[in-house]
Amino acid sequence: MSEQEQPIAPVQLKVSGKTLALITGGGLVAGALIVLGAIMPAEFNTDPLGIGKLSGIARLWAPDEIEVDTNAAGGPLAREYETAPRTDVIEIPLTDFLGGAKGSELEYKVAMKQGATLIYEWEAVGAKNPNDIGFDFHGHTTPEPGQEMTVASYKASRGLSQTGALTAPFDGIQGWQFSNFGDGAVVIRVKLTGFYELVPSGQEGNLAGIVANVPAAQARPDFKPNQP
Amino acid sequence: MRRHHILFALLAFALIAPPVFAHAIGGSDAQFVRNTVGADPFPFLYLGAKHMVTGYDHLLFLLGVIFFLYRLKDVLLYVTLFSLGHSTTLILGVLFDFGVSAHLVDMVIGLSVSYKAFENLGGFRKLGFELDNRIAVGGFGLVHGLGLATKLQDLGLNPDGLLPNLIAFNIGVEIGQLIALSLILVVMTLWRTTKSFGRFAIAANALLFLAGIVLAGEQLAGYFLAGDA
Repeated sequence: MSEQEQPIAPVQLKVSGKTLALITGGGLVAGALIVLGAIMPAEFNTDPLGIGKLSGIARLWAPDEIEVDTNAAGGPLAREYETAPRTDVIEIPLTDFLGGAKGSELEYKVAMKQGATLIYEWEAVGAKNPNDIGFDFHGHTTPEPGQEMTVASYKASRGLSQTGALTAPFDGIQGWQFSNFGDGAVVIRVKLTGFYELVPSGQEGNLAGIVANVPAAQARPDFKPNQP
Repeated sequence: MRRHHILFALLAFALIAPPVFAHAIGGSDAQFVRNTVGADPFPFLYLGAKHMVTGYDHLLFLLGVIFFLYRLKDVLLYVTLFSLGHSTTLILGVLFDFGVSAHLVDMVIGLSVSYKAFENLGGFRKLGFELDNRIAVGGFGLVHGLGLATKLQDLGLNPDGLLPNLIAFNIGVEIGQLIALSLILVVMTLWRTTKSFGRFAIAANALLFLAGIVLAGEQLAGYFLAGDA
């Protein structure tokens, strides 16, 4: 028996029209679902079906970042602004560390124009150990899909308070990521004065939906900690 | 019975591997190419081979091409056609600086995978449309070469030593293809001797078809959304 003339397996597949339609149709539908539902949200920050947001895949997306040297800024020492300065007190409730990322960690930022200045003062009310509160003071632009993001990192450390002033290096959002590593709930009280705008609830910079200028108990209406 | 698992692992990898990084020459390699002035054949040889071995869209197409090729003579014929095709466009594309979107070229490469899978499934015969396989493989070879060319062009090659570096890259591509092809052939040959081949051949080509659609769709999305092409 010659090997070449007697292949063990079929040389060409004989597939019925129905199976062929199923394979191609199924392939097209499944392929479209994978592209629209997973690849586009994860790689291109576009979520036509909403699956990326539902599944959390969309959170994988991050723009390319350009880091700004925060110690090398120049510019005039005296500045005038068109708008009036504002003052806000923001009380941010954080659960103890058992409350998970949704309860014990939170990001709060305000929108600032390039060159605008604010004075800040924050303290962790209810925390005792300086190691219990982590903060990351930073800012970034809010790019369109496909654009690069410019980021500036001011200070990432642990402690119970911080006071100082910030002049924004670019148009964008500036603020803090706070994390409570302690075993008791705390309130971060942030006082701001200067030239900035609050970020509306649910937008980048205030995704947690913090309401300014109300007591901590009412500052995060959308969140119910799952503990007494 | 374990043999076909390797094949499915390969296919599964193609579906879940990070697609955006799969095809481009990136990181320190890109840095190297950008900074090279003058002929530097061996690094380019390596880069060509690496690009082929890690370029699973090329590999999936090859897998589709040799799926039903039993005789070494046929394998050599088709692989030579494919190589001629992609060498032509790789070298001419870079030398004459064809400007084609890398995303669109990669989309056609993805579609070439689906085309071959559909052909393996007897789809074109069923539709009463039969293109000579040699023309199809050679033609898609041209497109694959254009894909390789756009990747190299994106890096801004220095004109000093361009031709030797290009040829070295091309030889590297062929070496990489030989390495990958040998592995695919070994797996395929082992798999063909088992009973499972008959049963899973349809499934494997259905998966190939799907993988091609995903690759093409991803590149289409990249063309409209990535803003870098």
